[in-house]
Amino acid sequence: MRSHEVTIAGYLVVLAGIVVLQVLATRTRARVPSLGDLLTRAMRSRTGRVGVLVAWAWIGLHYFAK
Amino acid sequence: MSRAAPGPEDRHAHSPGTDGGAAAGCAEAVVDTGRPGGRVLAALAGFRAPVVWILLAIAFFTSISGKPVDGVLLLIVATGLAWDAGRRTLRHPEAGRGAEAGPGAVPRPAGRYGGRRRLAAVTALLAGGAAYAGVVGSFSRYSWPVTACIIGLGTVVVVIGWHGPLRDRSAGGRLPVAGTLAWVAVLVVGCLWELGALLQQPSLTTDSYAHPTISTLTDPVLATSPGRAVVLLAWLALGWYLAER
Repeated sequence: MRSHEVTIAGYLVVLAGIVVLQVLATRTRARVPSLGDLLTRAMRSRTGRVGVLVAWAWIGLHYFAK
Repeated sequence: MSRAAPGPEDRHAHSPGTDGGAAAGCAEAVVDTGRPGGRVLAALAGFRAPVVWILLAIAFFTSISGKPVDGVLLLIVATGLAWDAGRRTLRHPEAGRGAEAGPGAVPRPAGRYGGRRRLAAVTALLAGGAAYAGVVGSFSRYSWPVTACIIGLGTVVVVIGWHGPLRDRSAGGRLPVAGTLAWVAVLVVGCLWELGALLQQPSLTTDSYAHPTISTLTDPVLATSPGRAVVLLAWLALGWYLAER
């Protein structure tokens, strides 16, 4: 397996982990919060809210802006 | 205007927690603003918020990756956030609550738009979002027009978020520790994997086929105008979702 495939496999494992946790949170009784719950909780404080929104803005900057 | 139920920052002020609001709140508890140097320490209290340091770290890595504009903007926001938290610490030193619970943190009332007005607002937002994605997606990546559009919208959303959530939401109960740690572990591993790929490139500004970053993998999609429009729509939808939190 070449480095390219290994690197992509790593991303897919992380993505699978996110999907599994979200399914556990929303489709089972497992004591796992959903991603939405985490974001809501993180955004209860002003620093958390602004931090998350800035992270969102940064995604746009990173992919499109100079 | 109605006030929300006490958020976690209020509780954390009495029981030090782990979020940014608690960090600022803890600073209030230990800084005596009446003492010489106390005001300086209080003003620096904002830097106790983990979010500020995360933003500073992103600003640093973004800058050395050849995106100085992003880095400077993030640096400005991180410094402003720290200054704002410190300023509120100075204004409410006696409160004994988190700096996050200052007047600026008052959530907006729920149900500002009812029924048809809300439907009209949502329709207008959808149309505006589609138009924005179509127009901005037609610009070349990394051009000044697209940069101005992204910075403009990002600034509006961050400024709106700075003044409080769009809708009042209950704080909810305590999050299960194990489940939360599982999320943190997955997200941290993802960030480290991306960082590892970035550091294995020939240079920070040169892509690598062997160790592609997520940016490199998405380049083919973003090379076309329709691809950019679709990604921009997803970005707008995520921003809307977050602004509503």
